[in-house]
Amino acid sequence: MRPKASRLLPVGVAAMLATLVAVFYYPVGSVLSSAIYAGGRLTVDPLVAVLGDPFYTGAAHSLVTDPASVPGGVVGWIDAGMPRVEFGLFGFTAYQALLSTVVSVAVGLPGAYLLARFEFPGRAFLRSVTILPFVMPSILVAVGFLAMFGYTGVVNDLLGLVGLGPLELVGTLKVIILAHAFYNAPLVTRLVTAAWESVDTRRVETARTLGASPLQAFRDVTLPQLVPAVLTSAVLTFIFTFMSFPIVLALGGLELATVEVWLFSRVQNLALAEAATLGAIETALSLGLIYVYLRFEATQISAHGEGRTRARTPLFVGWRSLVDPRRVGLLAYSLVAGVLFVGPLASLVIESLTTPDGAFTLDYYAFLIAQQASAAVGTVQPLAAITNSLLFGVGALLLALPMGVLVSVVATRESRGSRLAEALLTAPLAVSGIVLGLGMLRTLVFGTTAFGHRLTITGPVVIVAVHAVAAYPFVTRNVTPALSGIDDRLVDAARSLGASRSTALVDIELPLIVPALVAGAAFAFAISIGEFDSTVLLAEGVDSATMPVALERYTANRSLGPNLGPATAMGTVLLAVTIVSFVFIDRAGRRWER
Amino acid sequence: MKRRTFLTHGAGSVAGLSALAGCIGETEDSGQTLTVAAYSSFTGEDTAGNWLKSAFESENPETTVEFQTTETGVNEFIQRRSEDAPIDADLFVGLNTGELVQADEQLDDSLFAATDDEVDGSGAVKPDLDFDPDGRVVPYDTGYISLVYDEGEVAEPATFDSLLDPEYEDGLIAQNAQQSDPGRAFLLWTINEKGPDGYLDYWSELADNGVQILSDWGTAYEAYQDEEAPMVVSYSTDQVYYNGEGVDTSRHQVGFLNDQGYANPEGMAQFVDADNPELAREFMSFMLTEEAQAEIATRNVQFPAVEGVDPGGEFSEFALEPPEAVTYSYDELVGNVSGWIDEWARQIVSN
Amino acid sequence: MTTTDGNSKGADNTAVEITELGVDFGSVTALADVSLSIDDGEFFTLVGPSGCGKTTLLRSIAGLETPSRGSVSLGGQDVTDEPPEERNVGIVFQDYSLFPHLSVAENVAYGLQFHDLSESRDTEARVTELLELVDLAGFSDREPGQLSGGQKQRVALARALAPEPDVLLLDEPLSALDAQLRKELRVQIKTIQRDLGITTVYVTHDQAEALAISDRIAVMRNGRLQQVDTPETVYRQPASRAVAEFIGDNNVFEGNVADDGRHLDVGGTLVPLPEGGNRAAGQSRTVSIRPEALSVTDGQRADAPTLSARVETVEFLGDAYRVHCRWNDRSIVVKTAATTPPEGAVDLQFDAEDVHILEPQRSGSTRSNSVRQGGPSANQ
Repeated sequence: MRPKASRLLPVGVAAMLATLVAVFYYPVGSVLSSAIYAGGRLTVDPLVAVLGDPFYTGAAHSLVTDPASVPGGVVGWIDAGMPRVEFGLFGFTAYQALLSTVVSVAVGLPGAYLLARFEFPGRAFLRSVTILPFVMPSILVAVGFLAMFGYTGVVNDLLGLVGLGPLELVGTLKVIILAHAFYNAPLVTRLVTAAWESVDTRRVETARTLGASPLQAFRDVTLPQLVPAVLTSAVLTFIFTFMSFPIVLALGGLELATVEVWLFSRVQNLALAEAATLGAIETALSLGLIYVYLRFEATQISAHGEGRTRARTPLFVGWRSLVDPRRVGLLAYSLVAGVLFVGPLASLVIESLTTPDGAFTLDYYAFLIAQQASAAVGTVQPLAAITNSLLFGVGALLLALPMGVLVSVVATRESRGSRLAEALLTAPLAVSGIVLGLGMLRTLVFGTTAFGHRLTITGPVVIVAVHAVAAYPFVTRNVTPALSGIDDRLVDAARSLGASRSTALVDIELPLIVPALVAGAAFAFAISIGEFDSTVLLAEGVDSATMPVALERYTANRSLGPNLGPATAMGTVLLAVTIVSFVFIDRAGRRWER
Repeated sequence: MKRRTFLTHGAGSVAGLSALAGCIGETEDSGQTLTVAAYSSFTGEDTAGNWLKSAFESENPETTVEFQTTETGVNEFIQRRSEDAPIDADLFVGLNTGELVQADEQLDDSLFAATDDEVDGSGAVKPDLDFDPDGRVVPYDTGYISLVYDEGEVAEPATFDSLLDPEYEDGLIAQNAQQSDPGRAFLLWTINEKGPDGYLDYWSELADNGVQILSDWGTAYEAYQDEEAPMVVSYSTDQVYYNGEGVDTSRHQVGFLNDQGYANPEGMAQFVDADNPELAREFMSFMLTEEAQAEIATRNVQFPAVEGVDPGGEFSEFALEPPEAVTYSYDELVGNVSGWIDEWARQIVSN
Repeated sequence: MTTTDGNSKGADNTAVEITELGVDFGSVTALADVSLSIDDGEFFTLVGPSGCGKTTLLRSIAGLETPSRGSVSLGGQDVTDEPPEERNVGIVFQDYSLFPHLSVAENVAYGLQFHDLSESRDTEARVTELLELVDLAGFSDREPGQLSGGQKQRVALARALAPEPDVLLLDEPLSALDAQLRKELRVQIKTIQRDLGITTVYVTHDQAEALAISDRIAVMRNGRLQQVDTPETVYRQPASRAVAEFIGDNNVFEGNVADDGRHLDVGGTLVPLPEGGNRAAGQSRTVSIRPEALSVTDGQRADAPTLSARVETVEFLGDAYRVHCRWNDRSIVVKTAATTPPEGAVDLQFDAEDVHILEPQRSGSTRSNSVRQGGPSANQ
């Protein structure tokens, strides 16, 4: 609504759209188009082939192949006493995502209760730590779970001490779901805690003075504000676990393949048309889910009240803590949660420092160094992987930051064009990393012939671009609230004093959102450090391998050692790097809250 | 190939991101650099690849051998070729029959050049290993897929059908045939045994009996060493690795199902657009020399491809050959192998 | 310097010229084709209830709002399409809007980088000068967070004045402050404005503030100007019932002109009308009487018009009482300087000259909107 807004914004948006076209829409489009375009004309054949294949859709395939038979089939099914129906690969993927969501919410909600309603030493720290899993590279989590639940992992070692086990947990759905909960339960905790803390104590007090019991006040005042947060986090968890890749790949294998893992295997086996069709269907599904998510999120924002947070109850009240069932329950929960969240990471570190017999060793780290020293080509060099990760991280950050800020600036403007621009600029969230990686491979890495020259872009540049595309939505998520929290009149004042719109952005708005910018930058960095799905396809050979790629390769290469050792050592290094960038986020966040 | 040189030797690989972006439209005459594409475990410390590199370089002082490894093996090059993307390598080492068939099926024009007659020494290769009817691929070694089992845990599995017995429940670790060489060879072996119409049923029964399918040979063998199961699909040369004092040889028994082993010859071929075709053929010849054959056999733990080569030492003492070697020929695999593997993978996923 | 003539349109000394300016927010009309001219050096106040369009008009002058129609000229230059930074105006908002990451001095200096100062003064000197002007010398290095509300507002004023704007725009600058501070600060603003002679447009919803501080007042309602005049005229001769009711306390009655043409029949009681004016018998008329024009008596003045009323509530104001009475079925408010509160039945007396006849609403621009939107005359 500002007259003559500086030309800088449209120019910036145009530049960013051009970048996105080059490194996102064109590559992804080139992949997805093969789902609907074959032999020079539009076709639905590939889609029909996938959706009509019982392998993919199970019982639902007849919706495509023989719709007329569906009513009869349903009737027959009911007559048969409604036996279990298989819905193919998509059905299984949704099933495991649903289970993961249920478990994540079940694990996350008590955490929110604990953090929002109780005071105890370390509460603030714990609250900020809930962001950590979110920035944790998923392949690292997978290796952590291998180290903990693997056949020779910490759990089986402990069971062995008491003469039990060993249990075969890896390769079961249980461990995948636990790993997904590791990832997503803190997200649930975080979102619900925030909603809980935003419940205005005066509303609860009003309800109590009007005669409501504590439980009734919770039901009538607090719960309605929590529900949108629970739904939001549940939908988000479902999206993440539906698209989950490295965790299922490393912990599940072929037998527990989800759509994303199968898509990857199709790519590896050069069944590119089928992969493209799968990618297109998956993208459509995730767009739908993201739409649902945004709807929930919108209701959540409007539910936020102004006003004071309720005072927290002390968690520890001396001896009485041990007789209060609520507190005992929370302590038991803390124990379980501690094992679930600390266990895999601790196991990772422990396994990296112990031999299979349990003796202390630094061999695996020595091995990493030896690996580095050996001139042999064809193995992933640890130092190169670390430098690659850091350099790509910085590159992605430098690219993602302006992109993310730009989207935020567009998003905080109320106009019709900006909604469309925001949607176009946010679309990368909905596309699987593998599809993007494949698209990049086929277009930019392999090259395009133009003006008689073959234009190719080398791996590192493409990887940085892909990381930036994956990361900037997280910059936006940090920056948009901060930017929209700035009083418009500050900008008005600056402009009436003679500053142009873009000068006001630089002079006034950006300095005021520095903490959000730092947090966004740290996020971008962490996302880049942890990105696996696209990178594993793009890190051609070993030249551009990053730490997560190295980790994956180390888990499955005998020439690198007899067991998980080197992988856990590499994982520990990656963990350290991730935690350092996390500390960054945390510091910035605290400064922001002040 | 300056770009690759720079990428490999530039500190940290990405010294200047922007400097790397650009066109590589023209080919530069790199003179003396031979780029060899191979699977990743072919190179590295104490591998055949490394020995070949130093030996070849010391024989040809002007030449540098560089390895290029890809995670998806020859598929990377098939994909590049089908997209008209540049291929930097001169030759590919580590090709088996199934992969050659798939490459030929995927591409209209061959990825590899016919070199058979121009490679010195290729005449000495055992004729039954020769798997390329078009004379492009020259075998350099061969191996036999077999089971390795722990005789302290299970009796020797004698036949395919015996693997379905309750005695072997949860007993076998195999590999993903989509991405693992022994996994694929084992699958082809079961097809050879049960027929294209029967193998899926057989695998379904194997699954019911608890076969575990891991991503590749390394993970599978590691799981076997961790005693997750008493049998693993591996190679008949297992004891070359595991013998002598301190090794519990009872855990490294080689089992030939039906007294067979599935032969999996590995070959090399020159890319059709190689920058240094002559150098590539020289290198191929070098790999067929007696000395190289013995080294490859020992270091790669596979049997030599050239008639009359005896690797000697531990290899000759501990490498076992099956009473009967079975394998599919190129012509038998054409039109079939991709479908067989896909059907198998779908069944495993659906299970 | 101060012009009291509401119709003055001298081209030479017009600082702000608004011509048929309209602002629409979607389907809502925030400003309905307003025309206005403000003279050089004038203290001009836009007053009205919230949502009347006064802030929209102010923001349009600043360039912070995009007009849908019409034009804005500053100093004879059409600036309708100019962005705010090209207009050389200074603005002060209700919530101060100091840049929180800059010190007091940096806030004041911010605008100077975009302007060439008329005299060769350096930035530091200019900042010091302005902080002295607003009695904040020595506050240069403070952060905005360390200041009280009144201090913040004075910094905001200094900041707006620093680049020597042609027009100073004040958007409810005192509304966030408590009553006492508000009065002090408005005197200070008025003094500074007069000393600098700067054209000032002041927006407030507080009619008392408007009356106290302004050279001229524009009363706004529903995006339209109701009356533009000096405070005295607006107070004493409100142009409409809306103005009469909005500016100050007032008693407004409707009735029909009696047959003698000299009285208004208000629910059976005849209220005398002042001399002059158009008052044909039987016509409907609205009149107003200020509370201070009524006196509470026991009917001492036999010749004066008298309303018999009953006291309902009395408020003590310190120097007077505000007495809420009931006269027939109507509420009537009286302000009396008596020393004891009146009670019970009272006679309210007044002079006929104090009765002000409100002109019927003109069917011009002020009504055109309701006509267009289907008011009573829509079908005629």
